[in-house]
Amino acid sequence: MKQKAAAKRAAATQDNEEEQTAKRVKVPQELQQKANALLNDKTLDTKALKRIISQIQSSDEDAGELNVLEVIFKNLLKRNCVYSAEQLKPNPNAKCEALYNETWTLLLSRLAGADKEQASMALKVCMQLIIAEAKFVHESEWPTARLRDVLGAFVKSETSPAVGLAAFGKYARCLDVLQLSYQLLPEVAPARFVDQPTAAFNYLAIINTLDLGKTVLAAEQYHLGAGSEEQPSFTYERTRKFLNKTWKGIMRSSSGLDEKLHRQVLVVLLERILPHLTNPILLTDFLMDSLHQFDGPIALLALQGIFTLMQQQNITYPDVYTKLYNMFYPRMFYNKYKARLFYLADIFLTSTHLPENLVAAFVKRLSRLALKSPTEDAIIMIRFVCNLLLRHTGLQRLICATPAASAEEVSDPYDETQADPVKTNALSSSLWELALLQKHAVPEVANAAQFVTKSLPTMEFDLGPLLESKESDLFDGEVKKQAKQFMLAYERPTNLALPKDDIVTKYWNIL
Amino acid sequence: MVAKNKKSSADAVYTKKAVQSSNPFDTSKPQTAKRLNPFDVHVNKEKFQILNRICKHDRGRPGVSRAKALQRREQTLGKQYSTKHKTNKFKDQRIGKHLTGDQLNESVMNARYLAEKLSQVRGSHKAEKFNLNDDELLTHRGQTLEEIEQYRDERSDDEELEDEGLDAEFTSAAHFGGEGDKPQDRQTAIEEMISEQKRRKNEIAKEKDEVYDMTERLDANYKQLLPLVAKATKDEMRERPPPDAYDKLLKEMIFEPRGSVTDKLINPEEMAKQEAARLEKLENERLRRMKGDDEPTEAKAQPTHRSADDLDDGYFVAGDDDNADDTLAYDLDGNLGTHLHSKKVAKKDAVDKESGDEDEEDEEEESGDDEGEEEESGSEDEVDNLSDLKESESESEAEAEPAASKAKKAAKQKAVPAMDTSIPFTIKMPKTYEDFTTLMAKYEPQKRSIVVERIIKCNHPKLEGVNREHVVKLYAFLLQYLKDLFEDACEQDIHSHFQLLSQLMPQLYDLTHLNPDRMSNTLLDVIKEKHAEFRKNHKIYPTLDTLIYFKLVSNLYSTSDFRHPVATPTYIFMQHIVSRARVRTRQDIAMGLFIVTIAMEFGTRSKRILPAVFNFLQGIIHLAIPKQQSDKSDIAPPFECEGPFSKLLAVASSEECKQLQPELLEAGDLVTLTITSDFKVRALNSSLLLIKQLMTEHVQEHTGACYLASPFLPLLERLPLKSYPAHITQHYKETKSALELLAAQKMKPLAPPERKPKALRLLEPRFEVVYDDKRRPKLSKQKEERVKLLAKIKREKKGAIREIRLDTAFVQDLKLKQQLQSDKERHEKVKRIYQEASIQQGELNELARAKKKKKF
Repeated sequence: MKQKAAAKRAAATQDNEEEQTAKRVKVPQELQQKANALLNDKTLDTKALKRIISQIQSSDEDAGELNVLEVIFKNLLKRNCVYSAEQLKPNPNAKCEALYNETWTLLLSRLAGADKEQASMALKVCMQLIIAEAKFVHESEWPTARLRDVLGAFVKSETSPAVGLAAFGKYARCLDVLQLSYQLLPEVAPARFVDQPTAAFNYLAIINTLDLGKTVLAAEQYHLGAGSEEQPSFTYERTRKFLNKTWKGIMRSSSGLDEKLHRQVLVVLLERILPHLTNPILLTDFLMDSLHQFDGPIALLALQGIFTLMQQQNITYPDVYTKLYNMFYPRMFYNKYKARLFYLADIFLTSTHLPENLVAAFVKRLSRLALKSPTEDAIIMIRFVCNLLLRHTGLQRLICATPAASAEEVSDPYDETQADPVKTNALSSSLWELALLQKHAVPEVANAAQFVTKSLPTMEFDLGPLLESKESDLFDGEVKKQAKQFMLAYERPTNLALPKDDIVTKYWNIL
Repeated sequence: MVAKNKKSSADAVYTKKAVQSSNPFDTSKPQTAKRLNPFDVHVNKEKFQILNRICKHDRGRPGVSRAKALQRREQTLGKQYSTKHKTNKFKDQRIGKHLTGDQLNESVMNARYLAEKLSQVRGSHKAEKFNLNDDELLTHRGQTLEEIEQYRDERSDDEELEDEGLDAEFTSAAHFGGEGDKPQDRQTAIEEMISEQKRRKNEIAKEKDEVYDMTERLDANYKQLLPLVAKATKDEMRERPPPDAYDKLLKEMIFEPRGSVTDKLINPEEMAKQEAARLEKLENERLRRMKGDDEPTEAKAQPTHRSADDLDDGYFVAGDDDNADDTLAYDLDGNLGTHLHSKKVAKKDAVDKESGDEDEEDEEEESGDDEGEEEESGSEDEVDNLSDLKESESESEAEAEPAASKAKKAAKQKAVPAMDTSIPFTIKMPKTYEDFTTLMAKYEPQKRSIVVERIIKCNHPKLEGVNREHVVKLYAFLLQYLKDLFEDACEQDIHSHFQLLSQLMPQLYDLTHLNPDRMSNTLLDVIKEKHAEFRKNHKIYPTLDTLIYFKLVSNLYSTSDFRHPVATPTYIFMQHIVSRARVRTRQDIAMGLFIVTIAMEFGTRSKRILPAVFNFLQGIIHLAIPKQQSDKSDIAPPFECEGPFSKLLAVASSEECKQLQPELLEAGDLVTLTITSDFKVRALNSSLLLIKQLMTEHVQEHTGACYLASPFLPLLERLPLKSYPAHITQHYKETKSALELLAAQKMKPLAPPERKPKALRLLEPRFEVVYDDKRRPKLSKQKEERVKLLAKIKREKKGAIREIRLDTAFVQDLKLKQQLQSDKERHEKVKRIYQEASIQQGELNELARAKKKKKF
């Protein structure tokens, strides 16, 4: 042993120069040599293995070290040195098995850790070991316990969302992992979401990665393999069943949630769960409660859920337009889901059979908001109003009054404070807001509002690209404009103030 | 007497008669008048009258045309016929018929002429024998005699006339027997006379030739001498008396060079007028851009090429108004292009005269004066010989600079050297930014702007090509310098920084005008960078230097344009800041208000609105409302509805607060964090005033201004006026009344502008080819042509045949006539022969009878 250690040390000193080249593998040379020595030995030196593991455990800095563990245990699993094939009483591999389990706990702790690189590396090692284990130990059967451990580690992770989850997305596209995860998730679910908000967030985040959408199903990726004919590792029906079970679990444990968590539940529901639920009508109560008890984003998400139900399950909800109408208020531009709101409103107001006064109320409200909103939202709303006028041709009286009506001056009959859109008396109003918006300082907005005085376009605008635009796009677009000619002021300022109409020095005592 | 009376009475009778009887045949044409005999006219009847068809053959005169044809034939065919079988030829039988060329001399011609005349005389009537006015033109060698006479030398007419007669001596000798000499025989006398005559003629001819030559020569000489003679005589004729003072003065006045024609001097009013016109033009340009209905097109692109004939009166393109890079101009000293500065100097002088106070800015002006004076002294020396090189502009500037400033300069000259020592006149362009900062640090803040000005002057792009790069670099340095000044400014030095910025502003303006594109791109890059920084965390206000750049944009660019490459991004950037960044400290509030004021500056002329500005002002009012836990008000982000940050500006009602005087916002507010009660009052005061100004000046005329005004009202209602000083209450009332006025605005419902009715489409009439009644198959063009030709041939053929037939008939007629005539002649001959024969027979018979009688 001493000799070996001495040799190793000598090799280490010799290889000092070569360390630079070895760095790109990210695995410390010394450790790799140790591992090689370990694997080259005829008999398994459990003590050496233990040393390696403890070294890695204590070092806690380089993600590359985990690779060493992967190599070692893959080989050992291949050699059947970890698990004993027969149930012998004096288990020769008992020590090794213990070490293997110790390694797993190490990996899982890394997985739940806060270091992103380590977590993703650990996840990779875990998934590779799962493959090895399935291949050499369980005859191509899933070591479900291991996956459960992985999922559990994610849930228990102290950061939220768990850093490793980004890496898990890759594996979540594999259908077998997908099914198994949905199967195992209820087992790792936190009992009450209210008590463990972090765990609940992580749990929901895992579900958010597990996409059962068409593109994933069509891709047909497998982590281990598709399985046999009679026992396929993935069927949509089974997975759907598990998914329903998982959702039931969530519903059970989610009572009295705070806003943020509730929002997350709704997001997960809408994005991942709702299309696959067997009996979505059961959600009605949950969504209605969300809609009525909360304002802002939650109500919006609930409304989207209800919209899906209305579409697919044919439920009726008479007040939906009132709700939608009241979701448009100035603060709305500062929440995260405003694009969703516009999208939803666009869909809700698609029907040409809607009463005109209802749509008129929306038009008026949108144009009022355009006067208060940030620029990019103003553009969206102006375009949207334009689309509505095109869809509901009767509304064009808002911009084309009869000559008799346009002769006399009135104050706006539209009642802004009225919550019920039908009673706002919007139809007898006119779109003066857009006329005012033509004076907007940003040329894009002013141009968008031109249709009021010029002529309506013949085609509706596609709102899609607009909804995706960010607020800085406008700035970038303006800066990138070609064919620049820099018009200068022609009055030479003699000091900070403008030669005439200076406002800054009028209000500031800065000189 | 009686007879006369009789005649007159007869006349009267006649006239009376004439008056009385109106003869119905008076008007009739006489029988001899040339007119158509209706019996001669043959009319071709037309079956149908067709409009527009010209018919040539509707009537004809067969008799006339037949006679014509007959006559024609007689002249042609008849002549031929008469000369038929005749082989005679024309022969020249004139005198000298065998002679040719030179042999045909004058004598022959004369003989011919004579013969001709004789034959004429013989052949013509007797009356013509005595006709003296023979109008025949006589020629001599092809020229009429008149023509020949034109070229005769007129000169010696008189002399020749003298020689006409024989001289007296000769005549006396010859005609009257002479004196003493014995009379010779007649023959010799005549010969003598002839020879004498010939000799004399020769002499005369010779003399004439000589005279002619001499006159020619003299003429030529005279022409050469003529100019000399004229001058020499004038000068030598008069001997001038020594000029006295009056004469001198007069001469001086006469010969003093009259000034060449130039633009007339521009007096101050006219200059002001021109300036006003220029500004008006620029203003119109700006208004057009502001409306922005038609986006600027290629036509507006800056012309890269300038013709040498360019009058510099083109429209205003950024910067090339008075100091375009590529215009070469000389100043009075003959240096390249510094007239720009002299112009500035003039401006400054004007400012100086008006204010006349002696603050630190005077130094700057003094330096300007100094240079101006140098230039002027140069101009006085060389004003005459460089007058044509002068740029009209610089000239006008130089002359416009009034003499009144001279006295002032004299006074100032003493002050100049003192300041010369502190700042050198030529400053090299610093290579790096570090050099620049060290250079700036060397001088106290008041002088830094002069340093910059001198750097610009020394590195003016007109002086040297490299300087183009230098000024761009200088501009970048200045921007960086401003950043360094303001980024970490503290309360103590912020004022001086602002003052420095204020002094640098003219320099920045000049720099931007030197190369608008490059400078603007530099500034735009800086703003882009700032925006990228802000984007990283848009909840925090950017540093103060960003706002300074905004102010630069406001000062340097035409911000009222509908779309401007620098102003529009800045607008958007400001909107982002005001609508996104959280308001938590005094600095945040002050910066927000600063941006609001800058945004208002952007929009003063165009009256464009930025909703974020209104939201921000609402937020400021909102901050000033003291809120209880329970009442929750609705206000858009970045302001908060509740919590400590929702009542940052709320004042506790204290006496101390009420005593505060109305004050403007301070520069220090931009760098301080803690909110004091006086700041609270100041901020609220400024906000109220800003709202009032926005409402009364910016949005008043817009339709829908009520939507901007009405949200303020509920907020103002909640403001506790009791705890504020009096000026706030007053401004509050003014603002509120302005808002209420706007909120109650009534508007006409929108209606599309009336469209003109669309005119019907006008159709051009389509003309078809003329339709004539002849129904014939449609043929191709070539075939139709051919058919036409064939028809023509046929017609011509017919005509030809007819002609031939008529000709034959005519010839037959001729033959018949001849035959008849010859028969007649023969018959007469026979008759005569018979007659003669019978006479002969009768005579014979008579003789025979006589014989018989004899016999018997």
